[in-house]
Amino acid sequence: MTNGTNAPTALTRRDTLRLASLFAASTLAGDLIGGTAAHAATAGTLVVAAPGTPQSLDNEFDGSLGTIDAIGQLYDSLVAYKKIPDPKVPDVLREDIVDDPSLPGAAHLEGRLAESWEVAPDGMMLRLRLRKGVKSNWGNELTAEDVKWTWDRKFALNAIGGFQVGLMDLASPDAVKVEDRYTVSFHPTHPNPIMLKIQTHRYANIFDSTKCKEMATAEDPWARKFLESNSAGFGPYSLKSLVRGQQAVFTARPDYYLGKPAIDTIIYKEVPTSATRTALLQGGAVDIAQALQPLEIKQLGKAPGVTIETVDASSMMWIILNAKVAPFDKPAVRQAMNYAFPRDAVIASVFQNIASPLKGCMPSIYPGYSDAFDQYSLDLDKAKALLAEAGLPDGFKVEIAYNAGDPVQEPIALLFQTSLRKIGVELVLRKVPAGTYFNEVSAKKLPMLFFVDAPWTADPVFALRLYFYSNSFVDYSNYANPKVDEMIEAGSQMTDLAKRTELMLEIQKIVMADAPWVFVASPNFTMARRDKVAGFTYYTSNSINFADFSVKA
Amino acid sequence: MTAVPTSKGAGPFAGVALSSRQGGAGLARQLQALAAILRWRPLFALGYVIVIGVAACAILAPWLAPYDPVTANPEAYLQPPSWQHWLGTDNTGMDIFSRILYAPRTDLTIALLGTGVSALIGIPLGAVVGYYEQRSRLRAAFSVTVMRSADVLQAFPVFVFAIALVAVFGQGIVSVVIAIAFVNIPIYLRLMRSQVLSIRGMRYVDAAFVAGASDFAILSRHILPNAVGAALAQLSINIGWSVLLTAGLSFVGAGVVAPTPEWGSMIATGFQNVTTGQWWPSVVPGIALGITVFGFALVGSSLEILADPAQMRLAVRRREAR
Amino acid sequence: MALARYILRRLIFVVPQLLGILMVGFFLVKLIPGDPAVLMLGPNATPESVAALRSSLGLDQSIVTQFGVYIGHVLRGDLGISWQSTRPVLDDLLERFPATLELVTLGLALALVIGVPLGIASASERGGSVRRAGDLYGLLAGAIPDFWLALVMIYLFYSVLGIAPPPLGRMDIALSNPPFVTGSMILDSLLAGDWEALHSVLSHLVLPVVTLGLINAGPILKVTQSTMLRVQASDFIRYAETCGLPRKVVRRQAIRASLPSIVTIVSVLYGFLIGGAVLVEIVFSWGGAGQYAVQAVLNADINPVLGFVVFSAVFSLVVYLLVDLAYFMLDPRTRG
Repeated sequence: MTNGTNAPTALTRRDTLRLASLFAASTLAGDLIGGTAAHAATAGTLVVAAPGTPQSLDNEFDGSLGTIDAIGQLYDSLVAYKKIPDPKVPDVLREDIVDDPSLPGAAHLEGRLAESWEVAPDGMMLRLRLRKGVKSNWGNELTAEDVKWTWDRKFALNAIGGFQVGLMDLASPDAVKVEDRYTVSFHPTHPNPIMLKIQTHRYANIFDSTKCKEMATAEDPWARKFLESNSAGFGPYSLKSLVRGQQAVFTARPDYYLGKPAIDTIIYKEVPTSATRTALLQGGAVDIAQALQPLEIKQLGKAPGVTIETVDASSMMWIILNAKVAPFDKPAVRQAMNYAFPRDAVIASVFQNIASPLKGCMPSIYPGYSDAFDQYSLDLDKAKALLAEAGLPDGFKVEIAYNAGDPVQEPIALLFQTSLRKIGVELVLRKVPAGTYFNEVSAKKLPMLFFVDAPWTADPVFALRLYFYSNSFVDYSNYANPKVDEMIEAGSQMTDLAKRTELMLEIQKIVMADAPWVFVASPNFTMARRDKVAGFTYYTSNSINFADFSVKA
Repeated sequence: MTAVPTSKGAGPFAGVALSSRQGGAGLARQLQALAAILRWRPLFALGYVIVIGVAACAILAPWLAPYDPVTANPEAYLQPPSWQHWLGTDNTGMDIFSRILYAPRTDLTIALLGTGVSALIGIPLGAVVGYYEQRSRLRAAFSVTVMRSADVLQAFPVFVFAIALVAVFGQGIVSVVIAIAFVNIPIYLRLMRSQVLSIRGMRYVDAAFVAGASDFAILSRHILPNAVGAALAQLSINIGWSVLLTAGLSFVGAGVVAPTPEWGSMIATGFQNVTTGQWWPSVVPGIALGITVFGFALVGSSLEILADPAQMRLAVRRREAR
Repeated sequence: MALARYILRRLIFVVPQLLGILMVGFFLVKLIPGDPAVLMLGPNATPESVAALRSSLGLDQSIVTQFGVYIGHVLRGDLGISWQSTRPVLDDLLERFPATLELVTLGLALALVIGVPLGIASASERGGSVRRAGDLYGLLAGAIPDFWLALVMIYLFYSVLGIAPPPLGRMDIALSNPPFVTGSMILDSLLAGDWEALHSVLSHLVLPVVTLGLINAGPILKVTQSTMLRVQASDFIRYAETCGLPRKVVRRQAIRASLPSIVTIVSVLYGFLIGGAVLVEIVFSWGGAGQYAVQAVLNADINPVLGFVVFSAVFSLVVYLLVDLAYFMLDPRTRG
């Protein structure tokens, strides 16, 4: 049984599958994979071992890896960055995120659902003209109403989308205007230089409003229930089945407006332990293994049939120092923590050099970044002096929470503990289960927590506003510096690129000195794949697009 | 659960194990009997060697261990066994040999406290329950209530129950001790109850009753000393079992806080390295743990024989048969 | 009829016991910190939506009322929803319980095959080395952590020798599951006539089953041995010996007399392993009910924990009832 013969059946069966119960759907989907496949990738199938299946397919509420990956397959955005070869790993493509003031929005973009765009010179308007004849996975044609509905939904539900609304500086839903069937425009309250860049954000995906309205009910006007386990979008794949905790199956859409993707079926398998994902890739049972540990990557590098591509990424790992919890209300104590952190040793041992030290407060690959303000290297004398200066010459006792689901965090915490002990600080470890970890982070109550995140839009204002603007939900450190707030607000409206960049450098300088984080590492993004899988493209959302891939025969 | 009451009838050696008073002469005779058992089965002697050895490790660890057990050293990241690190290092560069030497401090403390608490609660409660059973209504009702509660506790899946307790009280040694105590109480309760039930029918108990002794006096002076032997023998086995449970709890992340040296959490931390070829962080602590539990099981078995006249008789018979 | 009356009497005891188990479980799990409404809605939820969900879940009522409501739901076969899997707990458990059951049943079967003959052999007066080996095995098996043994076996047979399949669930992920009929993968693939699936299922079962079998043979061996020793020392066997009955016949009688103890220990182990095999399940990513429950406790997901407690309690009770019935049929004394 091969896949080629099965693919057509798959599509005709799709509607019945949707009606079937989740479990039945999964067994049927299993049938279609093909029984004799000792190796997963027969011509048209890609098997991905992921840490978890999507918890929800509604990107308004979920930001876990499974969801991020799924959104990229099921939906498309209006515009995207052009791709260039990675300067260090030429076989890998990555987004060309270098600013270019001569272009609208200063970005090297290419059309997706939009085919052309213009930004008003005063930065007060963005207009996009949509591609005609683009069909959703439900067969509905893309119109400006879909864009409008998508943003109305963000206004109404006000979760992750609420943050985007803030960045777009839109006062009300009326600021998104339908000009004609295929033209839509955004009208921010103040001049806005990053409106266009935000459209490349992975969660700036457009919904099929016709289908969503059909599935909405009086209690659920924004089709939350439907979108949690189904999709209505214009992306390259459609969802065949989703059994949480087991697998999600995606099918290539023959009617995708950029042409049918090279790989017919994507099986996105939940394999919770990274050791097992490693073993599966090594044995050839899966084609791609995600989120592996540094040692496993090292080991796979030597394995026959496996290719490792590791590139600089937007991802950052830091330790949140809660500025509202003593003694981290004192900048000197926060600096001392940074001076006591064995950053280089952590990179060399725990990360096996598959990461670089975090020397700034935003991703090093983004425009406007500078590492000139990094003053922290392991210096226990200095740390001790800073503690004394803060009135804590004998140190203190503090708890650090770490995510049980991320195996590098515990050893890093232990290395830090040993180092801190030398300056009299007693670090107590607290392991938090992966399922509830994010709740602890967003509660902003604990004194110290590990966190790994990346701002997806390659822009310094976007990045700095996320973590250091006191009104931001994502300011998990409770960091509040009125001067920084003011500068971020000013930068958000500044259309002069050179001036803006200068202002952002100033912010980075202040934040690095204020040290709301312990600056840990900037882990690489690593693609661990079988040799025959080609086409890896790195995105700043640190997720992959299956439509980029092909399987060599 | 497996300890079946056995003290039926008094054999020729019953006096050895079940002397009603623990006087000096009684103790000497017990030791003599123990020596007899050890001669009969030399393997049991190994048990005592192991238990004493492990206890010695726990006490002498600061002098024996070449490194501090909780000091990380990134220079020595995941090194295989060598002259510098006899059993290698883990993923924070801590010395595994030193950690293994320190681990019984945690594991034995937890196990001893856990079983101790459960025995202190379970033994008296079981005695009272056994004594009151089939008595006046109120007392019998008390017995039934306690026994049914024990049923309920035991019907719980042990691990889920223990993890839930740790989740309630927060990660740490105290929580693990509470969890172990809870899980073990029904064992002592049942054991004592069945022992007391069989002793209560003995003539000397009837005699005390007729003589007008109070319930408390009968229980504490006549029944408990005779019934407690089996429960005490169970202690050692239970300590071993508690070490296993502690390790299991640590393995699922509900045990002690890192980097406390503890065998189970060492195995758990090393788990992810086994598949990348670094076997030493988890295989070696497992062996240490196994040897320890084995030692306690051996000691427990010898004590069980000591407390059980039927087996004692058998032991002696076998020795004579040689 | 005596049997019916006996069952009825037993069932009368079962109901309050189940209620007690549910009560302890409910209050225990409720004590675990973590607001289910917050966890279900995720960190971006507004306080209003949390409050709304809390009231729709009944979390704003008193805990006693909540318990009453919960019991009501359970009686209607509704075990609630897991916030982690976003599915009804009953569905999750019906899918996962058979996985655990299949593993535990086979593990125990193997334990019996190892434990009983060894126990009998080690209880016999002759063959000092056999007895010593039996003793040693019983003690060793009880001393080794099952999850550690599982790890060592994976290291040996998968990582080093490469003859075992990866420790990843019940069958090769590239193969399709046989249609769900009984939940036992062996039976289901047999029913479907899918030999390839059967082969994969069996090969995935080997390591976990051997782990459980080797470990649990310990207690079975010990009970068999000690019961046999006691029986052999009992008056009726000594009488039989004195009468000069052939050794074989005497031994058969002794084994017969030891059977009830063996059945008891097996039933106890059965009940214990439903939740106790969880560590082995975790190591092999088995996806069983125990693993599900442990994940749930760790993530403050209340309904699956309670659901699992109900399932395993009912299962244990059924096993015990069957054992008692077996005694009842076998032993006339219990009919009084």
